[in-house]
Amino acid sequence: MHYTFKIEQGNFTDAGQASSSVKRTMKQLGVRPENIKRTVVALFEAEINAVAHAYGGQIDVDIDGEKIVMVVADKGPGIPNIDLAMQEGYSTASPQVREMGYGAGMGLPNIKKNTDDLKIDTTVGVGTTVTMTVYLNN
Amino acid sequence: MAQEPSFFHAIKIDTDACTGCTSCMSACPTEAIRIRNGKAVIYENRCVDCGECYNDCPVGAIKVAQDDFHLLDNYEYKVALVPAVFIGQFDDTYKTKEIYACLKMLGFTHIYEVEHSVEFLTQLYKNYMAEHPEIKTFISPYCPAVIRLIQVRFPSLVDNIIKLKSPLDAAAQIIFRKLRDIGAPEDKIGIFYVTPCAAKIASAKSPVSMQNTRINGVINMDFLYNKVKLMLKQHKCKDAEPINHSLTDKSVLWPLTGGESANFNDSVYAIDGLYNALDFLENLEDEKIDAPGLIEMRICDQSCVGGILTVQNRFVAKRRLEDRAKLLARIRRGDDHAKVDYSDQESQDLAKLMQIPDIKPRSLFKLDDNLVTALEMAEKIKDTEAKLPSINCCACGAPSCSALAEDIIRGEACLENCIFAHKDIDELYEKMEDIWGKVVKL
Repeated sequence: MHYTFKIEQGNFTDAGQASSSVKRTMKQLGVRPENIKRTVVALFEAEINAVAHAYGGQIDVDIDGEKIVMVVADKGPGIPNIDLAMQEGYSTASPQVREMGYGAGMGLPNIKKNTDDLKIDTTVGVGTTVTMTVYLNN
Repeated sequence: MAQEPSFFHAIKIDTDACTGCTSCMSACPTEAIRIRNGKAVIYENRCVDCGECYNDCPVGAIKVAQDDFHLLDNYEYKVALVPAVFIGQFDDTYKTKEIYACLKMLGFTHIYEVEHSVEFLTQLYKNYMAEHPEIKTFISPYCPAVIRLIQVRFPSLVDNIIKLKSPLDAAAQIIFRKLRDIGAPEDKIGIFYVTPCAAKIASAKSPVSMQNTRINGVINMDFLYNKVKLMLKQHKCKDAEPINHSLTDKSVLWPLTGGESANFNDSVYAIDGLYNALDFLENLEDEKIDAPGLIEMRICDQSCVGGILTVQNRFVAKRRLEDRAKLLARIRRGDDHAKVDYSDQESQDLAKLMQIPDIKPRSLFKLDDNLVTALEMAEKIKDTEAKLPSINCCACGAPSCSALAEDIIRGEACLENCIFAHKDIDELYEKMEDIWGKVVKL
């Protein structure tokens, strides 16, 4: 099963459509509630990251009988220092973004915590692709 | 009372009255209603007895089942378990003592107000919250429609529900023990709950936890209102004896929005109304709302005074409850402690009885127990939905195109139920007659 969603820069209010669709499908599959929660939280965080930092992008979700793979690919500034970005509390979010309640520096650490596998490909000045995997019934 | 292995439902369709107008189908928050042969039918495993369909039916075809009033005759101790909301149904002209005197004339030997249990329960809820530091957000077990909604639509939140009895179940236990303690034989005690809504009937008949209930019967509030109002109008209860005001002001307010959460020092959220509840739960489930503390949540607008079996305008009923609370506060002024005192032993025994086992999720979304089969079905539903026109016209007898797509893949409908799936007009009318009974060609 495959889904595609578009990401629009700065549109926090419409973000979350991808995680809502994914949640509905996972409920249909009877996935354990805690795994649904992990997936939805990780996907929403990744989407918010892209909305906050990038100039736009796309989410691709694939579900098979074993796992869900979510790829959030954006065109944007890239992450200059991944180790720093993985630290809780570290954030490069703009004051405007922080004013909306985001940008606490918990995005990537939270994604890491909620996924079984996390891969980040990033090129400064080009963009970032975050690939997240959650095993459905581990 | 016999325990049903599945949900008991108080909401029934009167097929003679039903015109198949689709109002109820569109109102249902769990997409539990379909039209078949021109009449509404309910998918019982999806219904949460919230009563939205009852509110929206233009012809009164949604009925709420109640017990036969003559069931009282089977008992010697006939207890009316009355929620504070009942008094709110009457005009100020009629005093609480007159209303209760009427209930006695109708055959009840004892009147016990549900809210007598809330002070005791508040303490237990507080203890429960303190004993479970791993839970951040607690959901009150008060409204049975909320509990069922969580079970079927938000299964990941069942662990957030406080696993203790609701005031209704608790009050039934308390009055049962009181009567037993004064020598009443157990089988002679009949406890009858006067309900403002369908969900509480369903919960009394098959408690969420499947534990024994002490409630022997349920009487609908509108039905009892009529009986009492007639007696009041005929001035049959003017010589009513004064009643003992043993409820506290705070207890009387408990069934109103905010009345429960006012008893807690934690952060609280008082939410009423179906759509507010759905929105909050959806966001809570996704962790988009960070809500540490206690959530008081009731399905009806303005909580229990907005119940579907109430008679009085909900704001007027609310005002009467608030006035009564003010009166009780005045009476109590100077009293050190107004609450009903239990001995330590009694408190401990009662506390044990308030425990309930786990509340099980009953996801209505789950397509199959086997994940691979479910995935195949989900895929087919998605493909089928893409073919449908997404206009949610309801002509297929399902509330939305997505619901039809799911029905098709579950084998409960076919693509031809959609009016757009037909090229041949005669064939279309034939199919529509299957769904709607007789179809008039324009």
